[in-house]
Amino acid sequence: MRAQPANRISKKGLKVWRLYGWIQTIILALVAIGGGVLVYIFDWPRWIYPLEAVVLLLFAYFIIILFPKVRWMRWRYEVRESEIELQHGLFIVKRTLIPMVRVQHVDTSQGPILRKYGLAEISISTAATVHTIPALIMGEADELRGRISVLARVAEDDV
Amino acid sequence: MSEQQQRYKLHWITAIIEMLKTLKEAILPLVVLIFANGWKGGGTGLWYVDYLSFIIFGVLIISLFVSGIIKWKRFEYWFEDDELRIESGLFVKKKRYIPFDRIQSLDYTEGIFHRPFGLVKVKVETAGSSSAKQAEGELTAVTKEAAKRVEIEMAEAKKRQKEMPVVAEGEATNLIAEIPVEEESAHRKIFTMTTKDLLVLATTSGGVGVILSGAAIFLSQFGELLPFEWMFEEISAFIRFGVLIVAIAVFLGLLGVWILSVGMTLLSHYNFTIELDKEDIVITRGLLEKKKVTVPLKRIQSVVVVENPFRKLFGYATIAIHSAGGSVGQSSKINLFPIVKRGKVEAYLEEIFPDLHVEEPTKKLTVKGRPFYYRIDFVWMLPVIGALTYFFFPYGLFSLAIIPVIIAYGMWQHRSAAYDIAGNQLTMRFRTFSLQTAYMMKKRIQSMEMKQSYFHRRKGVASVIANIKSGMGVYHATVQHMDVEEAEKILLWYEKSKSVRE
Repeated sequence: MRAQPANRISKKGLKVWRLYGWIQTIILALVAIGGGVLVYIFDWPRWIYPLEAVVLLLFAYFIIILFPKVRWMRWRYEVRESEIELQHGLFIVKRTLIPMVRVQHVDTSQGPILRKYGLAEISISTAATVHTIPALIMGEADELRGRISVLARVAEDDV
Repeated sequence: MSEQQQRYKLHWITAIIEMLKTLKEAILPLVVLIFANGWKGGGTGLWYVDYLSFIIFGVLIISLFVSGIIKWKRFEYWFEDDELRIESGLFVKKKRYIPFDRIQSLDYTEGIFHRPFGLVKVKVETAGSSSAKQAEGELTAVTKEAAKRVEIEMAEAKKRQKEMPVVAEGEATNLIAEIPVEEESAHRKIFTMTTKDLLVLATTSGGVGVILSGAAIFLSQFGELLPFEWMFEEISAFIRFGVLIVAIAVFLGLLGVWILSVGMTLLSHYNFTIELDKEDIVITRGLLEKKKVTVPLKRIQSVVVVENPFRKLFGYATIAIHSAGGSVGQSSKINLFPIVKRGKVEAYLEEIFPDLHVEEPTKKLTVKGRPFYYRIDFVWMLPVIGALTYFFFPYGLFSLAIIPVIIAYGMWQHRSAAYDIAGNQLTMRFRTFSLQTAYMMKKRIQSMEMKQSYFHRRKGVASVIANIKSGMGVYHATVQHMDVEEAEKILLWYEKSKSVRE
């Protein structure tokens, strides 16, 4: 059995995903409230109310509690001298191998939510594909970006 | 070095080609305009109202003609500082300098307007073409000598650059003497499509599907405009004539579409030839519009042998290549051999790619992964069958027949899948409907993935995906549901990139 990559992403990433989950839940809740109003106005069957509530609660449980946790547990990465290895996935576990020689450039980026938590995501581009590590401590991300670009520069480019 | 160079112009036919090109793009609004305005017929007494659409049409033609002439007049190109420089535009002057060493290939097209004057259209392709649609530089119509001149200038510039470091080392004399001898490139003819091959290609071409779907889209667009109620009555009368006539009408329609597609393939692939230059593959084809495409060998990312079951019946296969950089417009997959006898595939591949191991992949999958090939289909199949059975009770049960078909198809895919590792090369074979065998060098694989779902893990299987650069996009070669130990072996082979590389 192949060993898992060594590093986890920041524990704060879990918080950010939970926050995203909350935002999605709130949007769904608004839709549900809209639906409730329609039920009231048009006098549709009353059992739609509890149905909406159950769906909303289940959605909230999955998207705020369960999915971020599983995803966070799964997310691992490792940057070695000659390759980068990633592992992620919710239902389907995906393991990706990117040789250093194939790396074209590395970006870090940060949205407002990530900035609030002092996080950044890092994107590794090859000639054909882009791979993203979603939540790293800012300093760590910058350091990693520097390291990858140095390692990638050592190898010659022959696309 | 920057002495004033001679500037060249395009041939005057450019003006007409440009005009027709713009006209072609504007044809749909024009047709709408004429239909909306033109055929009313009734005289309002004012001639310019009656003939409004014709007047607009005429003005448009004239203005397009003038703009074509301006485009041609203002277009200049010249060679300077090892660059191809293009200047164009009336109000906004556009200057484009393309360094010769960035040019990947020159593609030639001879359209019907080019043929009588012995002209060609030259498309300059560079590695990082910004958009797939527009070539970086395009000389719409130049004489063949002028096209040759571009080639010569380019070869000289590349030679100069090669010399540079050599001169510094002080061994200039004997090397410079050698180079002109090398310069005459030796074209070697690899393959010419015979008439019989061409006919098989045309008759089995997938173009039928394209045209059919085109017709379907067209119909769906105009579906709302058609008077359905009226048509319904007509059709019910039609049906009284008997199902036979309807069937014949449909058949004739399909036949017409098919003949059209055969004709188009015949025209576009007439006299298909592959030549091997020093480091390029040169493909020439076409009857009315002659096309010449150059693919640099070192830009080729992978070779894929595609075996369509229908063509296999006749003993034919297709060889496609994926190349980096958009040297053929949008599609980065080039059908190198659109059709070739299956038995000769290996010989041809060996001739063009001497480094390639063209043996068939021998490692097959074990039975462990087999159920995964059809199991996922039950997810959508069961509800569909259930619904059909419920709504059309007795006849809906016939939909059960789809289950053995799906299972057989899945088992067929499982049986076809194979892979092999030979030195620095990975061979993957998988079936969508056609059987694809992808030959990939390790240094051309951009990244690799191993995928495992929960059920995969329980059974100890995994899918492996190799990502290959193809133009601006990605080509995924994949072997699904293989033993996890084998999948890990492939990843391990890929991982050791450092120690084994060249």
